[in-house]
Amino acid sequence: MKLNSTLASATAVLALTAAGGVAADTMKIGITQNNVGVDSYQTTYEKAFIAAAEANPDIETVVLDAGGDVARQIAQMEDLIQQEVDSIIIWPTNGEAVIPAVRKAHNADIPVIVTNSNIAEQGFDFVASFSGPDNITQGSRSAEIMCDKFKASGIEDEARIVQISGQPGYTTAIERAKGFEDRLPEVCPNVTLVETQPGDWNREKSQKVMEAFLVKYDDIDGVYSGDDNMGVGALNAAKAAGRDGIIFVGATNFSVGYEAMERGEYWGSIYQSPVDDAEAALQTAVDVLSGKDVPFLNYFDTPKITQDNMGEFDKPVF
Amino acid sequence: MPPTAEHKASPSGRTESWFARLNITGLLARQGILVAFVIFMIGFTVANERFLDPDNVMGVIRSSAILGVMALGVTFVVISGNLDLSVGSMMSFSTIVVLDLHDKIGPALAIPAMFAMTLCLGALIGFLVGYLRLNSLIVTLGMLSAIHGLTLTYSGGKNMDIADKEGTWFGVFGQGDAMGIPIPILLFVLLAALLGAVLSKTPFGRKVYAVGGNGVAATFAGIRRARLVFCCYLISSFCVATAGLIQASRSLGSQNTVGQGLELEVLAAVILGGASLMGGAGTIFKTVIGVLILGFIQNGLLLVGLQFYVQYVVTWIIIILAVWLDIAAKRGKLWSPIA
Repeated sequence: MKLNSTLASATAVLALTAAGGVAADTMKIGITQNNVGVDSYQTTYEKAFIAAAEANPDIETVVLDAGGDVARQIAQMEDLIQQEVDSIIIWPTNGEAVIPAVRKAHNADIPVIVTNSNIAEQGFDFVASFSGPDNITQGSRSAEIMCDKFKASGIEDEARIVQISGQPGYTTAIERAKGFEDRLPEVCPNVTLVETQPGDWNREKSQKVMEAFLVKYDDIDGVYSGDDNMGVGALNAAKAAGRDGIIFVGATNFSVGYEAMERGEYWGSIYQSPVDDAEAALQTAVDVLSGKDVPFLNYFDTPKITQDNMGEFDKPVF
Repeated sequence: MPPTAEHKASPSGRTESWFARLNITGLLARQGILVAFVIFMIGFTVANERFLDPDNVMGVIRSSAILGVMALGVTFVVISGNLDLSVGSMMSFSTIVVLDLHDKIGPALAIPAMFAMTLCLGALIGFLVGYLRLNSLIVTLGMLSAIHGLTLTYSGGKNMDIADKEGTWFGVFGQGDAMGIPIPILLFVLLAALLGAVLSKTPFGRKVYAVGGNGVAATFAGIRRARLVFCCYLISSFCVATAGLIQASRSLGSQNTVGQGLELEVLAAVILGGASLMGGAGTIFKTVIGVLILGFIQNGLLLVGLQFYVQYVVTWIIIILAVWLDIAAKRGKLWSPIA
């Protein structure tokens, strides 16, 4: 038994060092995703994950999708434990409800990697590593983009902005708003955030919210939205009302946001690639399995993108 | 109705009937929901003077138009004694399909093609409910998820966007205006007038009430119920297709989930307008009021600037108050325990 596992790790190391060496022990990695197909981000993520896994001959994957259903995801976790995979990657459908299933995998000595959105803190002990975007940093970077633009326009001392946040209760929504609200007064202390309302990640809802803001406030200099889909909704409202000169900053650069930036109507966003997200998750699992020292919070970089530097980035596929 | 009842309604003859109709209790009893609507409008205006700003009012009606158009069709279904919970998914479907076809075959062909496909879905539901006599709640709840799946399969999970947003006339249905009135409002008003006339002035409309009010009696009266129910679902899907058209044209791009949850808002508007879930009662006019109440509540709460956690609660309270006011007016008393 002991000899076996020593041999196994020896061959694994061999396989890693001698690229594509003799048929070694493959790593069997299972993934249970949140809800593929509900949006382009998740669809692209899955494709990129499968492509990355196929490119590596030492990896064998079991790709599952929970369809947004917590119960199904828990059942899938149990299936993966039964199949004795070497590691499980989970994109939680719910940060609280999946913890018992994560603990079960942990107790079965299967390292669990959480991807994209973290589980609740009381489950951290059972998780080998979290791989995903740092939403707080994203929020504070958006604040910096906004502030830099105000300074360039010379209105950093009087600008008034509104915020359209994601769906209430979502960790991503809460963290981005927090990052933004904490950072803004540090970089631009005289900019006022006059109001925040949720746009529920929905373009049409955000358009409605922005219409109300435009009626309520005669003077809006900037709009921060929790993602570009909502940002474009707000932009549409401003265009329809003929209100020019508003600076729009979002997060998660979508292709609609990228196009609006090309047209010069939308100032900036945060570039978050589902391909990077998927590859980072797979790499984290491989690193954990090959015994590397992996930080608990393993963020992949999500850079700032504005009209000035957008040429360095490909247009998002989603 | 026996002739005596009509005499009772205007006891003092023609000269006074005008005045009698204007009295407050009578007005309340007939139009409780309208009175509730006026009360909320006054309340919000006091809270924020911009509420009645013409731009704001126009904006609210324009963004209510999508919900409103869908509610018109669902009114037919509900009055005929059935439910339609599939309209939200179906609207996502229409929106995605017309946006996709726009770039493939051009807007002039994409619009009729989308209408045809949406009407097929309506016909399928109408067939299952009307001719196979399956429960409409189960059928449309199933269709809610089936059509969502269809939409996702069709789009491959991608957001659908029109490539050339500047060079198309397709935006006219959602963004254009005629004589200063936004086209979505015009479409809503035209469709409401047309369907209102169908429901209240034509034999078909009377049959809808008859089938919903008492199906057995309707059969004995020689009404072909299956065909009528089938037609109601066709009307509903036609309205959904129109709503999808407005939605697609308004933003020239869409998520797969654009209509998600709208089925309940639509149903809330229809019920708020006083249509009975048991069938046989309701009017297009009252549905329009129900739609406007929902639209103005959302907008009013935003303008007042209440924290959004509170907004969910307040929305519920206002709806309950409106329904209570409506029903109390009909009963003539506020306190009315189940005896």
